[in-house]
Amino acid sequence: MSTPLDLLQGTLDVLVLRALSHGRMHGYAVAQFIRTSSDGSFRVLDGALYTSLHRMEERGWVESDWGISDKGKRAKFYRLTAAGRRALRAETASWNDYVAAVGRVLRAVPAPEPA
Amino acid sequence: MTARSSVPAWRRYLHFWRHDVQADIDAELRFHIEARVEELIVQGGSPDVARAQAIEELGDVGEVRRDLRAIDDRIVRRRDRVVWLRSLAADFSYSARSLARTPVVAATIVITLALGLGVNAAMFSLLDVLYLRPPAGVPDPGSVNRVWYSRPFESGAQYWPGFDYPSYRAMRQALEGHAATAIYSVPQQQTIGGEAHDASAQVSWVSSEFFSVLGVRAARGRMYAKDEDRLGAPADVAVISDAYWHRAFGGDARAIGRTITVRKDRYTIIGIAPAGFAGVELDATDVWLPFSTFVRSGSMYFDPQNATPWWENRNINAFQVLVRPRTGANTAALDARITAALHRPELLYRPSDTANVARLGSIIRARGPGKTDQEFRIATRLGGVAAIVLFIAIANVVNLLLARAVRRRREIAVRLALGISRARLVRLLVSESVLLSLIAGVAAVLAAWWGGALLRALLLPDIHWAATPMHWRVLLFSIAIALGAGVVAGLLPALQSSSPDLSDALKAGAREGAVRRSRLRGSLVVAQAALSMVLLVGATLFLRSLANVRARDIGYDSSRLLFAEVTYDQPDSTRDAYLTRELRELAQRLQAAAGVSSVALTNSRPMYSFSFTAIYPDADTATVSARHAFPTFAVVSPGYFKTVGMRLLRGRGFAAHPEPSTLIINQAMAHAYWPGEDALGRCIRLGKPDAPCFTVIGVVQTAARSQIIEDPRAQFYLPMGRVPFTGYEPRTLVVRADPGAHATLSREIRRMVSDVLPGTTIDIVRMSDALEPQYRPWKLGAVLFTLFGLLALFVAAVGIYSSVSYAVSQRVHEIGVRMALGATRRDVVRQVIGSGLRTVVIGVGAGVALAIAAGHLVAALLYGVRPSDVESMVAVSVVLLAVAVAAALIPAWRASRVDPVTALRVE
Repeated sequence: MSTPLDLLQGTLDVLVLRALSHGRMHGYAVAQFIRTSSDGSFRVLDGALYTSLHRMEERGWVESDWGISDKGKRAKFYRLTAAGRRALRAETASWNDYVAAVGRVLRAVPAPEPA
Repeated sequence: MTARSSVPAWRRYLHFWRHDVQADIDAELRFHIEARVEELIVQGGSPDVARAQAIEELGDVGEVRRDLRAIDDRIVRRRDRVVWLRSLAADFSYSARSLARTPVVAATIVITLALGLGVNAAMFSLLDVLYLRPPAGVPDPGSVNRVWYSRPFESGAQYWPGFDYPSYRAMRQALEGHAATAIYSVPQQQTIGGEAHDASAQVSWVSSEFFSVLGVRAARGRMYAKDEDRLGAPADVAVISDAYWHRAFGGDARAIGRTITVRKDRYTIIGIAPAGFAGVELDATDVWLPFSTFVRSGSMYFDPQNATPWWENRNINAFQVLVRPRTGANTAALDARITAALHRPELLYRPSDTANVARLGSIIRARGPGKTDQEFRIATRLGGVAAIVLFIAIANVVNLLLARAVRRRREIAVRLALGISRARLVRLLVSESVLLSLIAGVAAVLAAWWGGALLRALLLPDIHWAATPMHWRVLLFSIAIALGAGVVAGLLPALQSSSPDLSDALKAGAREGAVRRSRLRGSLVVAQAALSMVLLVGATLFLRSLANVRARDIGYDSSRLLFAEVTYDQPDSTRDAYLTRELRELAQRLQAAAGVSSVALTNSRPMYSFSFTAIYPDADTATVSARHAFPTFAVVSPGYFKTVGMRLLRGRGFAAHPEPSTLIINQAMAHAYWPGEDALGRCIRLGKPDAPCFTVIGVVQTAARSQIIEDPRAQFYLPMGRVPFTGYEPRTLVVRADPGAHATLSREIRRMVSDVLPGTTIDIVRMSDALEPQYRPWKLGAVLFTLFGLLALFVAAVGIYSSVSYAVSQRVHEIGVRMALGATRRDVVRQVIGSGLRTVVIGVGAGVALAIAAGHLVAALLYGVRPSDVESMVAVSVVLLAVAVAAALIPAWRASRVDPVTALRVE
């Protein structure tokens, strides 16, 4: 396993949106999702995760309410809004484009010099 | 409460939002750490290590808390705003629905408010033009001043912006190097001939500096230069306004170079002013001519006999002077300079004139220092009157809303019981009246649109307005007062009905609860009655002033007089003698016409024009009154005095064939030259000190010279055919006839003149028509005060009616009891009317006090009646009380129909 990567803010947002696309969950569950699904490839500070959640709530991508966790504790739950769903689709598409573009460049072979 | 919001409903009513935001953040982070610690322990870590790791994974906790706090504060603020706006919208839609259920009340409120607001908006649109808007098209109006000079008038010292040319010359010299100066004459209606397609234009004579002082450049062509405006050697050039260019030349670029004629002189158009610029008066100017062409042969000031040029004539003294001080110039110092210049010995009429002060004031006429024109002053007072009408209207709306609120007391009580906050309830109730007043405001803006034009037509009809009535300021004003009126009208009833005592009152029963509110309603009726009283007293005072002014003896039987002036289009000395002969004959023949009692001839139409010349009486002319007399004269036929209705006081009139070298003077002149002595037989020399003697053979009463109200003016009369110089041949027929015959006579005269004197122009005027504008200030005050007063009376009557009938409806039970105990219907009627009258009597008393207190505001506008006039007060009180009785009559009658059995069964 290589050294964990630092994440850019925008990328973290996509990951959080992706986590919430599975349904309503609290912040800790989001953190767990990212930690397990990335196999620890990313080093995400949990604080940054909460900043991302609150900022997206301000933007109207997610909304929150207080509920009871599996273990019977009071927790703040987040859920995607319609705008959040749209944002996730757009961000995912542009991320895939980006990855594809980088991939093309990495696979490319230099063209022969014009004679 | 909308389902969409994710915040629990109860949380919105927590008052400590800020604290709550922080607590939520901390709770969220605490949950995270605890969950992480738990998981790490399950994976086999010790509690201490697990906690340390969880906190490390979180990052800088302090920073995270700060960031989250900042974000959440923003979220909360926005959510509050949305909630507030949404509930406001809910309030308005609720209000609209509940008003729609009582359309009559809603309509009454809207109409009442629209009247009050409309009157104000219209009034404001006029005041805006008079006081606030600088002349259009002047790039920096604030940097140009009008010169005002305080002079002793009949009614005390007054600032006035009119000057004669010698005074202007002195001021210009004094300001040389410190400011640029210009002189101009106020625009006057002239008939334009030549190549213009519009014969009617407002002409202003302005010096060449006029345009540069104002910073106005020609849009096409050029403005005239200094050497084209030399006194005694003027160039015949003209500048026209953009509006006139379009009106008279269809906006044709070739208009430059065309010629127009003004007063029979030809001028070549050399420039067109930029669009929008129409001079600096309320009256729009169409044509600007060089100042040096002001007096030519067509002018009433033209005096072929006088050796001194017209610009030295100190009787032509209504020129306006504009000054543009150099940047940084000290205005007070400039004031001192021009004041000193005007105090030069040759410019003083009398030694005491050194007390007069000149000042640079606003270019806006109504904003000059000191007193302003009668019309402006009336407009300001009417602004106050309009405000009173609005106040009365608001009082009425408050009354209607109060009654409505009481009818809705169960609904309000239920809402209060359900925990709606008082502030929210007040907002709900106020939103109703704001909604109503906004609807009324729209009506008011429409009213201002045409009402403003109507007011202009009523108040200042002779002005060819340079400015349009509508302006953003008027719109803003209308919206602002509509909102203000809505809040004021809604707040009082809302605070009343939302007060906690209401529920107590409800518990105690509706009848007791009504007593306190009826006290407020009663005081509103008192206020309405008092204010109506003030307006109606004002109306009465103006009506009486108008009657007094009309009854004043101005020396002419103006209602019976008809003037017909006959002129040749081109002056022609050979035909002049013929014209005189023919007019004499015409006068003879007219004597026989139906309805005519007598006919005379004069060279100048009374109260329209006059002649003057230097005079040298054999008396001590050093007396103060004589130096100020400036006697003017008219050449008249022998029957003139009898025809116009002037009384001969001493001596005799002119004989049918007047003797040479005689004249008749008026009492003012006799008094000025020979105070306390007999003027008969005295000698007056005309034109030159060594001219032959003219003997005074009679003294007539002093007739008005130009104003219906003026100081007595010295005037004298020369017999026709015996005038020692030419140019004064009578051209005006004076016909004294039955007013009913004037129309037929005008046609008859026109026909006779065109038969005998082809090629002449005939101008026929009734004296009463010509004088009408002078009665206007009083007429206007009378009309508008009466209109507003009746409006107020009507609104107040509605108020009295609604408050009495409300009181009756509240007391049905009590009335039933009384009747059951043997009270007669008559007793009930008397009691109800009595209770209504009591409030109005208090109102009338307060109104009298107010009217007396406010009297000084209109005192200067009245004539022959004092503001505290007892008769007017009594008359208006009687009217008001009669209206109150009438308004209370219907509810009283209804009360007398109360059936005791039904009434007692009600509760």
